[in-house]
Amino acid sequence: MKKIFYLLVFVVIASGCKKLYEPNIDSPVIGYLVVEGFINSSAGVSTITLTRTTKLMDSMVAVYEHHAQVSIESDNNESFPLTEGVNGSYTSDVLHLSPNLKYRVRIITQSAKEYLSDFSPVKYTPPIDIISWQVENGGIQIYVNAHDDQNNTKFYRWTYSETWEFHSRYLKTLYYIIDPISQQAVGIISGSADTTIYKCWKTQNSTNILSGSTEKLSMDKIHLPVRYIEPQSDELTVLYYIRLKQYALSNDAYLFYQKLKKNTEQLGSIFDPMPSELAGNIHCITDPNELVIGYIEPAEEQEKELFIHHSDLPMIWISQMQCGEFEVENKPPLDVSIIPTRIATLGPFNSIASFYASDALCVDCTLRGTNVKPLFWP
Amino acid sequence: MRYSNLLLGVLFLFFCSSSKGQERKDSLVSGDFKGLTIEQFILQLEAQTPFHFYYDQKQFDSLQITLSVKGQPLQKVLELAFVNTNFHYSIDQHDNVFLIKDKMIRTDLPAGFFGSSRNINDSAITNTNTADIGLTSDSSTISASLENKLYEIGTKSQIRTGNSTVAGYVRDDKTHEPLPGVSIYLEENPGIGTVTDQFGFFSLTLPRGLHTLNIQSRGKRDVRRHILVYANGKIDIYLHDQIISLREVIISSRKTSNVRSVQLGVEKLNISTIKTIPTIFGEADISRALLVLPGVKSVGEASTGFNVRGGATDQNLILFNGTTVYNPSHFFGFFSAFNPEVIKDVELYKSSIPAKYGGRLSSVLDITSKEGNKKNYAGSAGIGPVTSRLNVEGPIFKDSSSSFVLGARATYADWLLKLLPKQYERSKASFYDVVLHTTHEMNKKNSLYLTAYLSNDHFNLNNDTAYEYSNRNFCVQWKHTFNNKLNNLVSGGYDFYKYDINSEANKINAYDLQFNINQASVKSDFNYYINAKHTVQFGLNSIFYKLNPGSYRPLGSESLVKTDIIPSEQALESALYCGDRYNLTPDFSIDYALRYSFFQYLGPQTVSTYAPGLPKEESSRIGNKEYGRGSVIKTYSGPEYRFAFRYSLTSDFSIKAGFNSLRQYIHMLSNTTAIAPTDIWKLSDPNIKPQEGNQISFGMYKNFKSNTIETSVEVYYKRMEHYLDYKSGAILVLNHNIETDVINTKGKAYGVELLIKKTAGKLNGWLSYTYSRTLLKMDDPLAGEVINHGQYYPSNYDKPHDVSFVGNLKLSHRFSISTNIAYSTGRPITLPVGRYTYAGSQRVLYSDRNAYRIPDNFRVDFSMNIEGNHKVQQKTHNSWTIGAYNLTGRKNPYSVYFISENGLIKGYKLSIFGSIIPFVNFNIRF
Repeated sequence: MKKIFYLLVFVVIASGCKKLYEPNIDSPVIGYLVVEGFINSSAGVSTITLTRTTKLMDSMVAVYEHHAQVSIESDNNESFPLTEGVNGSYTSDVLHLSPNLKYRVRIITQSAKEYLSDFSPVKYTPPIDIISWQVENGGIQIYVNAHDDQNNTKFYRWTYSETWEFHSRYLKTLYYIIDPISQQAVGIISGSADTTIYKCWKTQNSTNILSGSTEKLSMDKIHLPVRYIEPQSDELTVLYYIRLKQYALSNDAYLFYQKLKKNTEQLGSIFDPMPSELAGNIHCITDPNELVIGYIEPAEEQEKELFIHHSDLPMIWISQMQCGEFEVENKPPLDVSIIPTRIATLGPFNSIASFYASDALCVDCTLRGTNVKPLFWP
Repeated sequence: MRYSNLLLGVLFLFFCSSSKGQERKDSLVSGDFKGLTIEQFILQLEAQTPFHFYYDQKQFDSLQITLSVKGQPLQKVLELAFVNTNFHYSIDQHDNVFLIKDKMIRTDLPAGFFGSSRNINDSAITNTNTADIGLTSDSSTISASLENKLYEIGTKSQIRTGNSTVAGYVRDDKTHEPLPGVSIYLEENPGIGTVTDQFGFFSLTLPRGLHTLNIQSRGKRDVRRHILVYANGKIDIYLHDQIISLREVIISSRKTSNVRSVQLGVEKLNISTIKTIPTIFGEADISRALLVLPGVKSVGEASTGFNVRGGATDQNLILFNGTTVYNPSHFFGFFSAFNPEVIKDVELYKSSIPAKYGGRLSSVLDITSKEGNKKNYAGSAGIGPVTSRLNVEGPIFKDSSSSFVLGARATYADWLLKLLPKQYERSKASFYDVVLHTTHEMNKKNSLYLTAYLSNDHFNLNNDTAYEYSNRNFCVQWKHTFNNKLNNLVSGGYDFYKYDINSEANKINAYDLQFNINQASVKSDFNYYINAKHTVQFGLNSIFYKLNPGSYRPLGSESLVKTDIIPSEQALESALYCGDRYNLTPDFSIDYALRYSFFQYLGPQTVSTYAPGLPKEESSRIGNKEYGRGSVIKTYSGPEYRFAFRYSLTSDFSIKAGFNSLRQYIHMLSNTTAIAPTDIWKLSDPNIKPQEGNQISFGMYKNFKSNTIETSVEVYYKRMEHYLDYKSGAILVLNHNIETDVINTKGKAYGVELLIKKTAGKLNGWLSYTYSRTLLKMDDPLAGEVINHGQYYPSNYDKPHDVSFVGNLKLSHRFSISTNIAYSTGRPITLPVGRYTYAGSQRVLYSDRNAYRIPDNFRVDFSMNIEGNHKVQQKTHNSWTIGAYNLTGRKNPYSVYFISENGLIKGYKLSIFGSIIPFVNFNIRF
């Protein structure tokens, strides 16, 4: 649906256009409480993150809520406290929750305001059957496949974490000679290949809301796209890994995520729905009119992972990054913003008359990722 | 004096004459007349000749005749007798001699009397009353195509005092197409007049006796007809096209209908005006033309539907030749669904809605197709960058009693899609529409009209989701004239609208979603012209609705989609109405009408019941109630009042006021700002109340410069109840309990509309300014959700200031330029006031609904019309339209939005047409 309407914008002979816009909105300092996380019912820890809303055009990345008392409560009057960690996160011990009870979260902030989520039953989450992929429009589309034989789950949500290995286009075998006094590069020497900036990994988490429903299907069976890898992008140049987490949702939670998605991800078409109010299941009991953002309910977490190797691909896949080597005369002062790669011509006494160099991004992979190999990496 | 002339004329009506000045032996006169009075003189002449003399003695009482003749013919004698006086004589074939002072009676017919179309020299005979040959009676219709002929209406008899009714059709002389909107009034008393209806029919009650009718219509030559009314009768009037000769002429007509009509807030555009308004891609377009009228707005440039005086888009009744069209657009609203080649005119009722219409809250848009040429086959074709159109018309039978017009239009917009990025290369988009309209005049009293309309849109993006929507309409109208005073239009029709969305991209989820509306209607409308003071309209109409609110089916064998069908809804909406236009004095008229509408929601149906006193939500549902086929589940009914008056302070200045109330039983459910192709319609049911609205308005109308400049000021205040808004995150498609997702809101709208219009001359067009507000309010906590703390908030199309200028300058007969300048305040929008991080991304927090506005809108369009040569006798006439849309290239914002992209928030301003769009169109008429 969204695709079309984007398309339409294109249709108008590219005359239609979308421009960055920064209105002068006089936004008040609101600082509503934002509660994110879930109550883990599969014998694990539950993590709940407390943050505050900020001004729209604020330079601050996030405002964390510290020193709150957070606990998980059951309708059997049990209470499990959570302890504060870094960045507004509060973590429980490993809990074994009863599938027959309902659970909720109670939060008492430093300013003595009390928040409570609605009691929700524990949802069973079926396992992920398989993560599959196929070539679509030159890129790779990754699908999640799952099913529930009981036909009970109906509403799903996924998050993923992905990691890929990638290599620099050029290997660095030359090093600048830095004059200790002027701090300028005065010459170049040959050395062993610098593998520390050649092989890197990048990890990122999903940023879009991924949810799905089988409500309209005759079977509780999921086959939905979760991630599309653009053609010739870095992700698949060596090895790609995705770890997908699946959570069952209640109908209300599903609607909450849909609303959140519509309000914040699916705008910009001709037929935009009007932004709607976002009511979750958490309420401020000291001030019932206060807005609280978030939806917390108990659910099991299911996980599955997938590796896609470059050689698995049925097509040629080369990073689309524009890189090139150019010849530089070995004559000081040398420009250190480019990185020397190999010798071009030798002068008398095997001196380096000129060498090849390239942009830092094409040689130093740490500019785009980390050179620390993840523990699980094969 | 005048009266006596008239009497003389009456006396001679029986006689037919052809010659003057024949010499006959028995007419020779001899004698010596000295100081004779006219009486004595005539006695002598009658004694000598077989002639009979007619004269008015009073006119001749000062005349003394002294004359000596011998064996002279009578003509000579009379000439001598009246030499140097202002007396004249005439002699007809039957030896009757008419004597008259100052004027001359012609006893022969003017040249071209028997149908030759040779022009008659007006000035020579303007003051001559000409006798008619034939006897006419009430039963026969006179075809009046001559200016200087006296037409008798009714059987010749003594003229009694009192009124009679003259009725008939006004038609085009060449094609016999009826001409609506022609004004007919008495030259001697412009207060007595009328305007022809959509079938070109008029009925005029006037005092018996001799009158001169002035007949005026735009694009036709203004004519007069002299009529002598004995009794009720019929007269058909034929008008010529106004072919302006190449020497400049100044036409100053007196078109006073804006000042004289009783209705307020009526805008009429004929197709030639619509064609002068520059539009995107140069396609003449009804919906674009409407938007330049005061009081009509839309949310943005590419939006289907329009908002009239603060009403929602579903509150407009869009009628095409009497059929209801639910989706009036093609290609997401870039084009109107009506082919301009077959449209004659459009009329928009913003305030005074005639009692025969109802069922929508804010306006009625009445689109009329043209009628086919009854004499010759003709057609036109047009080629534009996006669509091509063809239109053929002509007689069906040779006796020019019937005609057809067929118009078709299709697009080849696929090339537009080729400009898209590669991943859309397999996309397709197409639309077409077809109109057929036939007319058949069975006899003088019965006419039959048939209209069929089909429009279809189909688009498919890269084998992903395919969308299709279609309007299908059919209507038969039978007009029966009982007598001059009473006529009746019976019509029956079937209207259909559907959409279909399907997707096969994901085999497991492949689906086909369908929605449709079926509506069958019967109407009977009577017009009763009681007398000059009262015109009564009454009638009844009934619409049977059957909606299939949604069916969702699997597509393909692998699909796991569960068939989900929302049971169809049925209802019957009926109305009775009666209204009277009462002309108390020529200066003061009132129009009052009562319409009583009732709506019955019919079974079979399962209706959910909710706990009283609680918001209608899933949790408050207490049960279902089953109703069998045909059972009446819920009835809503209520009166609707329509009242307006007009008081003329002078002949070109009047004030008017009106009050209207309306009810609406079918609602469009949409949570987007513009009409989307996926919007559904819902009938009122036990859980969803009908919308109610009323409007009070006041206007002043003044014309200047012989009525060529019209000015008006209109003020209105409007209230709406039970207007449907949606809860946050409402699901409208395939919702079995839709009442749980909608809320009732109240609305109010008010504004003032100023208009200056120049209707004639080399430069014509209009300038309008509108100040208006539209505010909504949702303050019932029982409905579940209060918007903006229960305060009034601006609606999506609340644009307080709106200025538009449309100008057309005719530089020569073959070259004209048009421009359209529009400015409006930006529409309200909900903007974020804060942000937070959730689900891995920064996200925005929205403030109160519609608390901000997007930047203002300003646009200039320009077009040139170049016509081929104007020789009347040539096979084809062609014309070019060249122009540019958005001449200044201003990037008018359509919306402003904030979106989370790769974990960060970005704000964008979206413009639909962000640059100049040039266009060329080629049209051929044959």
